[in-house]
Amino acid sequence: MQAQRSNLADNPAPAIAAVGIWRIFGAFLWLGCTSFGGGSAGWLYREMVLKRRWIDDQTFLAAMALGQVMPGANGVKLSVLIGQHLKGAPGAAVAVFGLLAGPFAIILAVGAVYAGLGEHAILHAVLDGVAATVVGLTFATGLRSAWKGSPGMLPLMIAAVTVLCVGILRWPLIPVVLALAPVSIGLAFTIPRHR
Amino acid sequence: MRDGDGSTLLALFAVFAPLSLLSFGGSNAVLADIAQQSIAVHGWTSQREFADFFALSRAAPGPGSMLVALIGWKIAGISGALVATASLYLPAAVLLYGLSRVWGRWRGSAWHSAIERGMAPIAAGLFLSGGLAVLRASPGGPAVWAAAIVTTAALLRWPKLHPVPLLAAGGALFAVIAAL
Repeated sequence: MQAQRSNLADNPAPAIAAVGIWRIFGAFLWLGCTSFGGGSAGWLYREMVLKRRWIDDQTFLAAMALGQVMPGANGVKLSVLIGQHLKGAPGAAVAVFGLLAGPFAIILAVGAVYAGLGEHAILHAVLDGVAATVVGLTFATGLRSAWKGSPGMLPLMIAAVTVLCVGILRWPLIPVVLALAPVSIGLAFTIPRHR
Repeated sequence: MRDGDGSTLLALFAVFAPLSLLSFGGSNAVLADIAQQSIAVHGWTSQREFADFFALSRAAPGPGSMLVALIGWKIAGISGALVATASLYLPAAVLLYGLSRVWGRWRGSAWHSAIERGMAPIAAGLFLSGGLAVLRASPGGPAVWAAAIVTTAALLRWPKLHPVPLLAAGGALFAVIAAL
């Protein structure tokens, strides 16, 4: 157990006391219910590293690095790794459950109110406005990471082909990603990093 | 709410679990396919409902992709919501848990760097595709497209703008326009 927990950090965090399973659950439940605007890494960092000091900077950054190459929602990925670091498999399980339980209950309550209101012109207008803003956030993130995430003409072309196939032609995402991923990873592997 | 029969729950699992394992860069990446499957392929939601569920899940706390809970709930009640949510989040979480145990050996390897750099442009392309899918589903018309483009430009210019006030401003602006 000890060996598996210390995988994330080169030096297992010293002087950080064992954290009980209920405290882990409570902390992630609180994080889930308060992370407006998408459960971001910044929130988790502030709560886990700066405020509670349950993990150190190095462990957090190692978790971020691993999360970047793996699929999954970003908050969930960090919760798995931090929970595991704190208390192995049970820690990972309660962290993810805690993170999702609050938002799950809240969204169903919100959905019930929505279903009760039915055709309501102002409500639909508000939701359209929110959706438009969120799409703007998504576009800005996509454009910035297409530009900065891996600079160069070839990565930009891969991003453009992805948009063409999935976004414009509406081809199913799974075969497109399965076809493009080996090409893109192979290119990154053969072409040395430009810095 | 209807209670989910087995085949509906299985269909939710069959759609969302594979997407879980392909959501590189976050679950925003598979938004385009969630829209396509829910609206066109399975008819689980109308375009209007999809756009509304999307906005509701972003205005609420937690992962933005929690809209799958609303899709599951609409077609199969509480069990549908649970199956959809578990299918979208748990496969990737379990995979990550398993891989993190062997991660120590991989750290800093050429493969790690190649996967990270190779998946980045695909994730970026999928993010943009997800945004397009929502705009297409939104019945708000050109005003929604225009507001999305203005927000994009503002965020590229001022990256530190906090999302929550932006969402509130977007909602309020459209409410005022609709009321006039």
